[in-house]
Order: sequence, then structure tokens, then C-alpha cells
Amino acid sequence: MSRRSLFVVSLILTVLLTPPAWHPEPVRIQLARWFGPGTYVSPPPSLPSAAFEPETFCPADLAGWRSSQTIGDVTIRASRSCEPDNPFAVAAFVRGTNNVAEGVLQQSGLTPDAVTKGEDLDGDGDPDVIHLRLEVAELNGASPDNTEPVVQFPIAPGVKPGFWVFAPKMAGMATENFESLRARPMLRLPSPVIRVEQGDRIEITLENSHYMPHTIHFHGVDHPFVDESGEGNDGVPIASEMPVMPGRDRTYNLTPRQAGTMFYHCHVQPHLHIMMGLQGMFVVEENAPDNWVQTLNVGGGQVRAPSKGVQEEYDREYDLHYFDIDTELNEIIQSSNDPRVITDEMHNRYDITDATFDLFTVNGRSFPYTFRESLVSVEPDERVRLRVLNGGSGPLALHTHGHKPTITAFDGVPVPTPARITRDVFMLSSAQRVDLTLDTTNDGLHSFGSGIWLMHDHQQKGTTTDGIGPGGNISAIVYGDYQGEDGWPLTQGMPYDLFFTEAYYKGLLPLWEAYAGDSFSPPAPASRFHLRTLAFALAVGATLGFGLLLLRGRT
Amino acid sequence: MIAAVLLAAAMATSDGQTTDAMDAGHGHMHHMSSPTHQVESHQMEPSHHHHAHQMNADGMVMNANDSVLPRDCQEISEDVSFEIMAGTEFAHGPGDTFGMSQHNLEAQPCSRITVTFMNHDDIRHQWMVHGLPRYLYPGGMFHLEANGGAAITGTFIVPSDRKTYLVHCDMSQHMEKGMKAQLKVGGGDGDLWSIPGISENYIHANDSGLTIGQALGAALLAFVVVLVVPRWRRKGP
Repeated sequence: MSRRSLFVVSLILTVLLTPPAWHPEPVRIQLARWFGPGTYVSPPPSLPSAAFEPETFCPADLAGWRSSQTIGDVTIRASRSCEPDNPFAVAAFVRGTNNVAEGVLQQSGLTPDAVTKGEDLDGDGDPDVIHLRLEVAELNGASPDNTEPVVQFPIAPGVKPGFWVFAPKMAGMATENFESLRARPMLRLPSPVIRVEQGDRIEITLENSHYMPHTIHFHGVDHPFVDESGEGNDGVPIASEMPVMPGRDRTYNLTPRQAGTMFYHCHVQPHLHIMMGLQGMFVVEENAPDNWVQTLNVGGGQVRAPSKGVQEEYDREYDLHYFDIDTELNEIIQSSNDPRVITDEMHNRYDITDATFDLFTVNGRSFPYTFRESLVSVEPDERVRLRVLNGGSGPLALHTHGHKPTITAFDGVPVPTPARITRDVFMLSSAQRVDLTLDTTNDGLHSFGSGIWLMHDHQQKGTTTDGIGPGGNISAIVYGDYQGEDGWPLTQGMPYDLFFTEAYYKGLLPLWEAYAGDSFSPPAPASRFHLRTLAFALAVGATLGFGLLLLRGRT
Repeated sequence: MIAAVLLAAAMATSDGQTTDAMDAGHGHMHHMSSPTHQVESHQMEPSHHHHAHQMNADGMVMNANDSVLPRDCQEISEDVSFEIMAGTEFAHGPGDTFGMSQHNLEAQPCSRITVTFMNHDDIRHQWMVHGLPRYLYPGGMFHLEANGGAAITGTFIVPSDRKTYLVHCDMSQHMEKGMKAQLKVGGGDGDLWSIPGISENYIHANDSGLTIGQALGAALLAFVVVLVVPRWRRKGP
């Protein structure tokens, strides 16, 4: 056969074998008129789901930490959380680590000088000279001995970005025990809520136990720019003082004259260090007689020993600290064990102006872990105080399902009663705080009644964990009749097994399989041998080849 | 696969997990075959009932034991004491933040070791030994913790086996950034990984040798030489 006829044959084959789906629409219609529609081809089946083993939703409270109890003479309220705060630590934070019995101190895990409480300056029955010590700890950091991050604090199943946190001064190991890589319970994100009484003489010593320089800046908390000796007291290296180097310490002095919900954070390279987790809520409670405040609320959430002022006005008090994370920054500390390399990567390579935020937390956890420890547990006809801080980089649009709380203070400054706003979305820009009064009276305005009412960022990405939902800062307002004995909310929607797996947040498990079978599971890749498509492709190749030969033959 | 085996080996030597398990085995064996020997006969209770946890303003000592012999020891072979200074000023090399004045310690089997741990920093530090027999030391550890500027002294007695014990500061990132040491009893059973000045990091190597660019360049050079040299030799000068 001549080259020309070979070319023509392949061209005809190309036209005939063109897959029907690629035909121009008039051609398809005409062909269908002549020959009818194409024959049925079965789509690929759904992929079988990988087997998975969910984590325990709600660990058992073997130590009896959930029940209300009196330790020494400190009354500690019941906690409905699956992971309640250590009541011995609460007692030590209230009385001072220098004033509790040795057994209480030992069970608190704190050092004798972690929070010392001294003189009663105004003679009203509570101590007014407080000395608090904070260390700096790294979570999910690198190790020269381990491919896994060390001193682990997962914010959701398998999600372990690196963090730096201020931590209460605790004796002993950083992990649960020598065999475990997990951080001990009070070593965690967020940095603890500091709670003091208005007018107290506060000393806060930063013991820089970390390998980077740090400071503490008290944002919104009344403090002098320099202390009595003229030393910098504002924590700002470009304005008031040199950073505290590794192994060194510095004591800050405050006597806050105004009460309110404030903020504290490291001010060394704040665009990096604040976003690494060196930030916490700072609450100044109103002065009252016999007002022993819980100096630290580790992990935020319920205040188990509220101040006198809060006890008079409210039935419960919760601290809610929101924080978003760019994993690109927070994973730098896992990429090297050399502080020089980490410094260069953070300061000179990482660019926060190009950042996208991936993870969204409340009180250091993302859903579903928030359901273990960051639920707002309530009963009907209560007044609940919520202190909300947005420590993240982006804005927060906090929405409360089924409730319209009232704003009583912005950035620690009370709002006069007639100007108070009652609404169901609270917009907080970075570093802002609001005090909310959550009224659980079922009147169709303040509350719609009992239930499990979600509470989450309504900027939708905030309800995801690196784009996979449900995740992020979803927690809930839960009424007692919807909470089990162990504290787990009695939800009546989807089963939670999927959410308590690492695989789900890696995007490896189909969402609705538990109740929809494999109807929504991804299809298996098409493995059938598409003879026609293959023949078409061969014909195209042959046409081009013979066409080229024809052209060359002419010249 | 090879990586997994390497990892397991590293865990066995540097993590103490498997060495602890081995200890438990040893302890059991000796319990079956030989009675517990004591220096003073009236101290029959396990030592941790007396000394589990001593805490004061300077720091704490956990699981101190200056009198109860490990089951495999007939008597105390020698009394040794170490003065260990710790802090940022003892960081061993570039890239280390913290360190100790000694990262390698040696002692005889069944020796009674007294450690004075002097903290030159303003923050807490620890000197913690792992892998000791659990019947004598709860959790298999002996632990000194010194507050900033403080010194803490404690004593413990090591068993008879040749073994290298992990010594470290367990505050977050302190071991990783330089506070890792080893105690070799009876010459030890090898070095641990990542001991400053003694052994290489298991991962995150301090100096990984050639960079990828250098390695590729060298490979290319070798390739060109192999191609060119025979040609040049065939043509001859």
C-alpha cells in the first residue's frame, strides 16, 4: 500500500473510533438517531473502606477528678468534662503551692514555688502578694533519637503541629512516664489562664527553660512600663528590655487597678512566637473580701473555683481561648534539632504574609477532642459567664446555636447596661476579648431550651481541621439532660467513630459510610480495558506518522 | 525495612524501653535464685518507702537509695561520687543549648554512686537515670532535680550487670538540645546515640557529610572520567 492510502485509512479509522462522548453535539444527535444510544457500561464499584480502630471517646475518670470535692479547705466544683482538671492542682492554685499540705502539692505535680501566696495587704481575708512562676515548654518538638515528635500534644487525632507554651512550674518529667511520648496532663496548649485579684501585688517570673529567647508582654493588663528599679517591665525587646535568654529568668511586676479579661503573650518576634502558642488569657477579678482566686486555669475551660464576684453573679464560668495555626510555621521546629537552623527557617525563610491558616482550636484542641474537655455544660435557668479570647491571627465569628448571649465587656472594659448587645454571632478580631453572659432561660430569645447546641466559628474554615470537617473549633453548649454520666454528650446524629481516627483527618475515610453504606465512598479507579479508546489513540498516532511521511516524501 | 530495624536498635539503646524490660527480667531471675542482700539488716523494707520523693526549695530527689543492695550484689564494690554541673554554659557544641559538665560517667558494678548536681542556670534542671531495676527504683529511675542556682545531692546503688544507662534532663527539649549523658557500669554495653561529644545523632545528624549537590557533582565527574579516559588512551599521546 502506498503511504497515501495508509494515511487515508488511518484518518478514516480515527474518525470512526472517536469516542462518542467526544463527538460534537450535532454528530452525537445524528448518530443516536441512526443507531440509538450507546450500550450500558457499569461504573466502577465504590472503594472498600479501610478498617479503622477509633480512639476512646471519653477516657474513664479513674482518679475521681470529676466529682465536686473539698481539698484542704478549697471547694472545687464538679466537672462534667471527660478530661477534668486535676483538683489537687486547682486547690494549690487557689491556696498557693506554699500553703497546701505536702500530699496535695505532690498530687498537684507542681513545685513548691510554682504559685506562692503571701501577705493580706488590705486585711480582707485573702492574700494580696502573689508570686507566679512560668516556664516555657515545647510540645511536639524534634528529637535526635526519634522520628516521632516528642512531648506529644495532639490537638485532634494524629494532628501534632509543634507548639511553644508557657507552662506552670511542675516537678519531674515532661511526659506521662518514661515509656510514653505524650506530654503530662498540665503541659499543654493553650498557655494557662492567669487569674488574679484587682489590686494584688503580682510578681510573675518567666523561667526561660526553652532554647529560644522569650519575654512576657501583658496585653491590656495594667502594669508600669518599667519596674521600681527601672528595669523593663513591658516585655517588648524593641522598646523596653532585652529578651530573656535560655536558662535565664526575669520577674515582671504588676498591680492591676482595673478588672477585666485581658491577654498575655511573648513579644519576641511576636508574629512567630505568639503564633507558636506563647499566649494566654489573663483575667483580673474584682476585689472582694475573702476572695481566693484560682491563679491558673490550665487548659482554660471551666473555672472550678470561681472568684467571689463571679460566684455572686453567675452559676458557672468558662474561659474560651480561640487560636488558629499555620502548620507551615508550627512544623519548622520538627524539621531540625538545631536552634540555629530553626531560627533561620523561622525568621528568614517563613513568611507570615504568605500564610494560610490550617488548624483552628478552642482551649488547645480541635473537634472531636473539644467534646472531651471544652464543652460549656449548663442547666436551665442559669447565668453563665463566658470569657472569650481570640488569640489567633485571623478574625473569629463565634456563633452559639440556640442561644443569644449578651456582651458585658469588650477587651476587659465593661459595657454600660443600656448599651449591651445581645446576639448570636460575636466577631472578634485578633487579640480581642469579650465577656458574655449566657442566660439559659428558655424564652425563645436567650435560649431555645435544652439540647446539645454547637458553638463554633462561623467563618466556615474554622470548623475544619486543615480543610476536613467536622473539625476546627467546634464545641457545644450542653444541658445536663443531654450529657452522659461520663460527661460525653448524648448526641443523636452521626456516630463519632470516624472522627476519632487519624485516618479521617488525613482524608482517607469516606464520611457517611457508617449509615449510608458505600453510596458516597470514592469509586475505584477505572480498571477496564478500553479497547475502543486504545484503538482510537493508535489511529491518531498512525495518522500523524503517515502524514509526516507524506510531507517528507514531497520535499 | 532496614530503617525499621535500625530504629528498633536505636530505641533499644537510647530510649531505654527495651533495656527496662530486660531489667525486669533480670530482677525476676535473681529473685528466684538469690536472696536480697542488705547493707544494714534493719532496713528490710523496699527503699522507696523511705525515700520515694524528697522535695524542698532547692529541688527534689526521687528514689534515693544508699542502703538496699540490688539482688545480684553481695556487697557494695566501691563508693563513687560525681559532681555534675549543668546549664547553658556547659552546652557541648554549636547548636546545643544546654549541657552538663560530664556527658560520660563510669562506675564499677554494685557501686554506690553519690551525685551532686549543681545547676548554674536560673531555671530547673534534672539529672535522671533510667533503666535501673524496678523492684528497687519505682519506674526504673533515680532522679535529681535542682532549682535555678541550687545544688542537690542523692545516692543510688547500681546492679552488677555490664550496662550503659541513659542519663538526661527530662524537661521538654533539654535532652534533645544537649542534656543527654550516659553512665557505663562495668564498662557498659556500648555507647548510646546522640550523646554530645561521644556519639552521632540517630536522626537530624549534626553534619550529614556531602550535600546532594556535591554528591551529584562527584557522580557526574566519575561518569565523565569513565567515558573520556579510555578514548584518550586509545588515541594515545
